[in-house]
Parts: sequence; C-alpha cells; structure tokens
Amino acid sequence: MKLQANSLYIERSGKQVLQGISFSVDQGQVYALLGGNGAGKSTTLLSFLGFLLPASGQALIDAKEVGADIGAARKNIAYLPESASLYEHLNAHENIEYFLQLAGSAATQAHIDGALDQVALAPDARLRKLRDYSKGMRQKVAIALAILRDTDILLLDEPTSGLDPNAIDEFHQLVRQLADKGKTILMVTHDVYGACQVADKIGLLHSGCLVGEFSAEDGNSIDTEVVHKAFSASAKSPSKISQTEPA
Amino acid sequence: MKQILLIAAGEWRYWLRSRLALGSAFIFLLLFFVTSVLSSWHIEAQSHSREHHQSEAEDTFLAQPDRHPHRMVHYGHYLFRTAAPLASFDPGLDMVTGQSIFLEGHRQNTVMFAESAASADFGGLSWLSPALIYQLFAPLIIILLAYGSIAREREAAVLAPLMALGVSGHQLIAGKALALLSFILLMLVPLLISSSLALNRGESLNALLLLAGFYFIYLSLWLALSLLASTVFKKRASVLLTLFGLWFGLNLVLPSLAVNAIGSESTAAGKIESDLIMMADLRKLGNGHNASDPAFTKLKADLLAEHGVDNIEELPVNFRGIVAMYSEKKLTKVLNDYANKRMMAELQQEQALVRFGWLSPALAIAAASRAIAGTDLIHYHLFQTQAEAVRFNFVQGLNRAHAEALSYQADINRNKDEDSWKKARVDASNWQVLDEYEFQTAALSERYSNAAQAMRMLLAWLILAIAILFWRGGSIKP
Repeated sequence: MKLQANSLYIERSGKQVLQGISFSVDQGQVYALLGGNGAGKSTTLLSFLGFLLPASGQALIDAKEVGADIGAARKNIAYLPESASLYEHLNAHENIEYFLQLAGSAATQAHIDGALDQVALAPDARLRKLRDYSKGMRQKVAIALAILRDTDILLLDEPTSGLDPNAIDEFHQLVRQLADKGKTILMVTHDVYGACQVADKIGLLHSGCLVGEFSAEDGNSIDTEVVHKAFSASAKSPSKISQTEPA
Repeated sequence: MKQILLIAAGEWRYWLRSRLALGSAFIFLLLFFVTSVLSSWHIEAQSHSREHHQSEAEDTFLAQPDRHPHRMVHYGHYLFRTAAPLASFDPGLDMVTGQSIFLEGHRQNTVMFAESAASADFGGLSWLSPALIYQLFAPLIIILLAYGSIAREREAAVLAPLMALGVSGHQLIAGKALALLSFILLMLVPLLISSSLALNRGESLNALLLLAGFYFIYLSLWLALSLLASTVFKKRASVLLTLFGLWFGLNLVLPSLAVNAIGSESTAAGKIESDLIMMADLRKLGNGHNASDPAFTKLKADLLAEHGVDNIEELPVNFRGIVAMYSEKKLTKVLNDYANKRMMAELQQEQALVRFGWLSPALAIAAASRAIAGTDLIHYHLFQTQAEAVRFNFVQGLNRAHAEALSYQADINRNKDEDSWKKARVDASNWQVLDEYEFQTAALSERYSNAAQAMRMLLAWLILAIAILFWRGGSIKP
C-alpha cells in the first residue's frame, strides 16, 4: 500500500500546522520525517489516521483519500504513538489482547509471546502491570502490538524514544525486516542517525514545510553527515535547505 | 457491537482492579443497608403501634356505657393512618405530616403525630431514608465511576491508539455507558430486595418495578451527564469538579431555593388567620347545641308542618337531635369547603415545587418516588378526606340516635335531678356507628398518573443529555 501526501494543508486551532507538504511512501519503504519540536511531524501522522482532516490537499492511502472512509483507512494502519499509550492496570499480555480484540483480530498467547520475544521484553515482566514498567518497556509492548496487528501500514511516532541503545538497534532491524516483508512505514523522529540507518527516504520538516528530502540509492543508507548538516541548517534558515532538495 | 461489549468489559476490569467499583458499591450498600434497616424498623414499629392504637380506640369507644348521645359526639374517636407498604423505602411526607387525627363533632382537627417519638428528630438525621440514598448519594457513586471514563483515556493518551484501531467516539461512549448501565442495574437490586417486603403488605409487583424504573431513568440521567462532562473536559480534575458542582447545584441548592421561592410566593392564609375567618362563617350557621337558635326556625316550621303538629313536644322525634344532625351537616359543608380550599392551595404549592423538576431532576425523582410509594401530599389529603368521612358518619349516627332513641322531654329535663339525668341516656348499643377504618393507598394507576409529570421531566432531561452526548460522541478526538 502506498502513502501519499499531496499539497497537504492542516490547521489546528486556527493555526496552519502543515503548509502544503507533498511526499509519498511506497510499499516496502521506510520514510522518516525529521524535524524539531512543533515542525508538524505528529500532525502528518494524525492526518493519515483521519484525526485531522486537511484544509486543502490530500492524505491518500492507495490513492484513496483518508477522509472519504476513515474507518477503512484505520483498518490498514498500525499506529504507535509517541508515549506508548497503554493501560497501566493491565499487564503486557492483557494490553495486547485487549487492543487486538478491539481491532477485530485475535492472537494466541504463543503469538503474543513471539512478538514480545521479537521486541526483547523480558519474560518475567510480561505478567506485571504496566504501571511498573519503564518507558522503554512500554514502548516494546506497543511495538509488539503493532507487529501483531499485521497491517500493511505502520505509522510510528518517535518509536525509539525512551529505548536504550541496544533496543534502538534491535528496533531498527525490526523495522527494516517489516519493510522488507512489504510493510509501508512512515516514522517521525528527531533522531537523525537512527533515521539514516533505517529509512529509504527522509523528509526534513520545518514549521509545517517539507524543506528537504533525501533518498537512499542502490541499497546504500543515506549519508548521515549530509542530513545532519541540513537538519541543523533548517533550524536556522529553512529557505536555504529547500534549495538543496536532491530527490 | 462486539467493540462496545469489549469496552464495557474493559471498564469493569478497570473498576475491579482499581477497587473503584467495589469501594463505591460497598459504601452505597452500607448506607442503603443502614437506612433500610432503620427505616423498616421505624415504619414497622409505627405500623404496629398505629394498628394497636386504632383497635384500642375503637374498643374504648364501643365499650362506653349508656350515655347521652351528644356526650359521645364529644367523647370522639381517634383515627390512625397505617403506613403505605412502600413507606419504609420512601417515607415521603409521612415524616412531617403526622399520622393520627382526633375525630369529634362540629370540628375538623389537625392531623398530628401519634407519639412524641414519631416526630422526634434530635439528631436531624431521620430524613435519611433509602429513597434519599438513591436520590442524593447514588448519583455521587455514578459520578465517581463515570467521571474518568473518557477523560482518563485522554489523559493517559490511550484515546489516540484506541481510535486508531477503528473504535469510534460513539462506540467508546456506548461501551462506557453499557458498563455504567450494568452497574446501575446492580444498584437497583437492593431497592428491589428491600421494597419487596412491601409485597407482604399488599403492594403490587408492578409498583416495585415502576419505582425501580423511575430510579433507573434518574440514575441513567446522571450517567449521561457524567459521561458528557468526561467527554467535554480534558482533565479528570475538571470533570470531577464540574460534576460535583452540578450535583451540589441540582440536588441541594436548587431544591432548597425552590422551596424558599414557593414559600415566599404563597398567598394562602395561615392556619390561625383562616381558622378565624372560618369561625365567623360557622357562627352564621347558628349554635347546634341550642334548638331555640333563630337559625333553626325554618327547620322547626318545616318539621312541624311535615308531621302535622303544633309544637316540638308532639314530634315523634327529638327536635334537639334533628337540630344536631341539621347543624352538623351544614357545618360540615362549610368545614369541607375550607378544607378543600386549603388542600387545593397546598396542592398548588406542591405542583409548583414539582415544576422545578424541569430545573432539578432531584426534585422530579423525589416527587415521582413519593407518588408511587403513596407517601405524597395527595395521599395525605386522601387520609384527611377519608378521616372526615368517618367523622361525619359517626357523628351523624350518634345524632340520629339522639333524635330517635331519646325523647325530647327526657332530653330537655336531663339537668333537673339525678333520675332525670339517668333517663337522658341511650343504650350503649347505639355506639355501633363506627366504620372500620384502614388507610389504603390509591390504586397504582392513580399513583402512576400522579407521578406522570415528574416522569416526563426525567425523560426530557435524559433525552436531552443523551442527544448532547451523542452529538459530542461524534466529535471525540484524541
């Protein structure tokens, strides 16, 4: 499935948060939206979930406008919010089971354990309530849930936030594997190095404008130095970066 | 539907794990149990006492020896109102109106408390009845359970992933509402169990179900208001503050303001003032103890003509007894006119108070509950009307004995000497004029019709709250 933003304008509380951004993510690709706080990264994700409808322009999934059938759009998406929002009074198993049932899918305990193994959540922690979890552990449960939902599209909001370096590496490997299996992945982050490591494309977002876009070519990863410089420069003067748009 | 059921089950799991539902249910049950036991004990004791006093009063009246019949008119008789079967759940106005009345000739006495204990409330807590637990405290339990239902998910940022799964705002609200509705149904079980005792006292099952139905609507309204606040406000603290404010305003402040407003608006004359006016009207009717009063000249002429005699000594009946009957009839009509006016004024005040139910659902449910329980003003008036009928019948029965069983000569000479005094007595068998009395609540259809306006108010509140909730449900966003 393909994700596409066409001249997407989004307003929140009367303020233009996205100002006509356009990009696309093909099936099997990982697209990383990089940007500072308030750049409009999370807003972009929410527009693909239909929580925010465009003032103009389009958010498309497989060439179909999200707003036309929000329910259908959400069925194809697994969304991993920034704060790994789950129920604190439930344990990892119960959380996953509950969310999966609400999504209309089911998984055996073995499947759930398999997904939790994939995200390397310690077995002895799985039956503890989430109120006793660290941020990183919660993030792992949320990622396991996203894996188990087995949707065509993954929207990841700061997915590595709160994870330790090893877990970040493991997560990036996991994302790559999922993309290689044909999942379409859009992640937003301000981790330049992580984005360069995992993404096929990187979009640089500043104050609601896409000021730069970088692509990996021939299986090579994107040059971190180039992106880092562009990211730093965009914070100072976004207009200069827009001229460096390579893709 | 599956999602709604899952959300409802999820809510129950949250309540049980947070011990919120268990704690709330425990507090509610404890309050209900204590008030039910106290109220049942109180009503049961009063009922036994009233039945005992009633039978004692009847026995005492009937055991009176041969006497002058008019002495029996003033000896009088007591009537006791037995509590309505559902009074132990909702004592309503019984707590403040009194349940016994002294019946005698020429007067309509005020209803009073049979025993000093019945009106003694030194702690000021006797008002805490099981019905009041449902009217005042049950909404607080609903608020405690419901205030966080949507706001909690929003605060924990669970709303976004939940809705991203395809759960709509309407489904979310429906699931939460379903969980709360099931809790409300459980809350009504104690009501049904406690009020089922009324079945043994002759109450119909339909009355119990109707009562439970009214409380279901009322508590559902609080459910809808709580969910609405939880949907509108982002922070749980704001939701709780708003709902407590609403509860305080609707359940305590508005009813109190309404009672004060109606009291100050009332144009009805006070008891002393209206009694003085009535006494002046009664004097115009003549003195029934004095057969020579000019007020009875026409009666005398008509009676002499009817029997074709020249003086009252020749009449086959005792003219003094005839005057007593005639006078009592006229006097009772005036007394009844005043009583009807007073009851009408009281009813108008009550109806004005019930109309405040459009502003305060607590007033509406209180009125509906009293009406179904048979402890409202209408039943208080019913007791007074029935008591008056008993009074009139027994007084006239004695007056008839005065007219027919005692000669005029013996009557007028009764104070001459001891022997004359003895001759001016009639046989005690003439005292069998008392109707057997037991207070009965009105038929359920009538009670339902008395509660209909309050029910319309509750339904209007509920429909409005659900409509706004439905509208807000469509716009729930993370």
